[in-house]
Amino acid sequence: MKWKYYIKDKIYAVLLFSFLFIFLFLFLLAFKTDMIVIVIISIFFILLFLLLLLIDFYRKKFFYDTLLSYLEQLDKKYLVLEMLSKPNFYEGNLLYETLYEINKSMIENLKQYEIQMNDFKEYVEMWIHEVKIPISSFVLMEHNHKNIFHKKSLEQMRRIEDYVEQILYYVRSENAHKDYLITTVSLSKVISVIALKYKDDLLENKIDFIVDMNEIEVLTDSKWLEFIMSQILANSIKYKDEKKSSYIKINVEEQREKVVLTIEDNGIGIPLSDISKVFDKSFTGHNGRIKTKSTGMGLFIAKNLCHKLGHKIDIDSKKCEYTKVSITFLKNNYYEVLK
Amino acid sequence: MKKILIIEDDETICNELSELLYNSNYEPIVLKNFKEIEEEINKVSADLILLDINIPYINGELLLQKIRKNNTIPVIMVTSKNSEADELLSMMYGADDYITKPYHPNILLFRISNIFKRLNESNEITSYKEITIDRERGILKRNHIEVCLTKNEMIIFSYLVNHKEKMVTRDELMTALWNNHEYINDNALTVNISRLRGKLKEIGYEDAIETRKGYGYILL
Repeated sequence: MKWKYYIKDKIYAVLLFSFLFIFLFLFLLAFKTDMIVIVIISIFFILLFLLLLLIDFYRKKFFYDTLLSYLEQLDKKYLVLEMLSKPNFYEGNLLYETLYEINKSMIENLKQYEIQMNDFKEYVEMWIHEVKIPISSFVLMEHNHKNIFHKKSLEQMRRIEDYVEQILYYVRSENAHKDYLITTVSLSKVISVIALKYKDDLLENKIDFIVDMNEIEVLTDSKWLEFIMSQILANSIKYKDEKKSSYIKINVEEQREKVVLTIEDNGIGIPLSDISKVFDKSFTGHNGRIKTKSTGMGLFIAKNLCHKLGHKIDIDSKKCEYTKVSITFLKNNYYEVLK
Repeated sequence: MKKILIIEDDETICNELSELLYNSNYEPIVLKNFKEIEEEINKVSADLILLDINIPYINGELLLQKIRKNNTIPVIMVTSKNSEADELLSMMYGADDYITKPYHPNILLFRISNIFKRLNESNEITSYKEITIDRERGILKRNHIEVCLTKNEMIIFSYLVNHKEKMVTRDELMTALWNNHEYINDNALTVNISRLRGKLKEIGYEDAIETRKGYGYILL
């Protein structure tokens, strides 16, 4: 709170007082009062007025300055009221009460919104479980009656399945609740699961799948990691270079404080202008437009999940040469101690 | 024939699953009465249970807990719930395996045969005609002649022996190999099979593996 603005705000009182003072001065003059008495009365009068302003100013200054400084310091500004003590002047009180009511109604609103979000999330998860049943039926039917189904029908069903997975993990990654469970996971097991999942795709596209690793365990949620790696693998398959004999190499390297898993392909690569944006939401870029339409969600969700699990995900690419995605798992001694 | 009990409330899946299991020489039994589920399980005395989590009247995980109280029958959870927590819970309650829907049918069959293999390891076929199979050393032996097989060749040969005189598709062999962390491609499979043939020829079984065009192979 600044004097300048305070005075400006109290301009009516100052004008009124000045007017009254001049009037009093003239009045006293007219009655031929002693000069010394006029001076004393004037000083007394002015002092009184200044004192009034000063007291009022400092009372308010204290309250508003604390309010402003808290507001600046807090990163969750809506909590400012919790920090403030109730002011002892009327206007401040009004403000305090108003803020309280606003806060309360906002929290209620937010709560309702949260309940709605949760309901929606639950519904989506339930729906995904439901929709997987007909997909399973279809896969089984196709397997049992290969002669009736079109050769490519399974491929399309796999696409549906991938999209369904994507929304499931999107819902999981966007939600504040913890849907994951960190355990000790064998990387070769995770790789085996996704290798089997993409076996047909890899073989049909004549992509060599090369795994070079020792048995290594990391701390992660295996289901989430499977999804993250699936997204990367699906991209590698989708953006393979038709002119080369394609391969996807998975390499795991153990360092002192971390384990780095690298998935490298010799596909069409990513243009330099796009590479910093591939993890952005809904980013399709140059490649996303030349092949089948891309949703631009896969890598965004993968990055989100990595972030939640505490892994680091990086991408490196050279157009027409290679794309390399690496996931870094930190080793955590604390967890070892807890066990 | 091994009896497999299917506990699953979706009729289409039940039917297709039964057909799949039947074609793979198992005897599928579909559970109909979900109300007296435990009595039903005791009545059929199956060799393995495929159990869904979302079933009427009772949760699959709870049911598993109840089964485990007085029964050691192998149980594979087959479910569309795919969170780590669900899997961990099921394994804690004593499931032998956990597969999420939608699964590849060959993989399901694999997991089933793996469990049966684990149960009676000694029962694994160790000979073919006059050949003794030494899986640990990767050696086939006939009288005094020995041939060395690579890991891939052994996986293929084992699979063929286990499905003797039945058609085996290339996809099944591929699944067997990939399931054992051998991520080979189509050409490599062809090469491996012709090498295996060569080695079988060395010990006197030249035409043991026959090619069925457009289908796969058969070990006679």
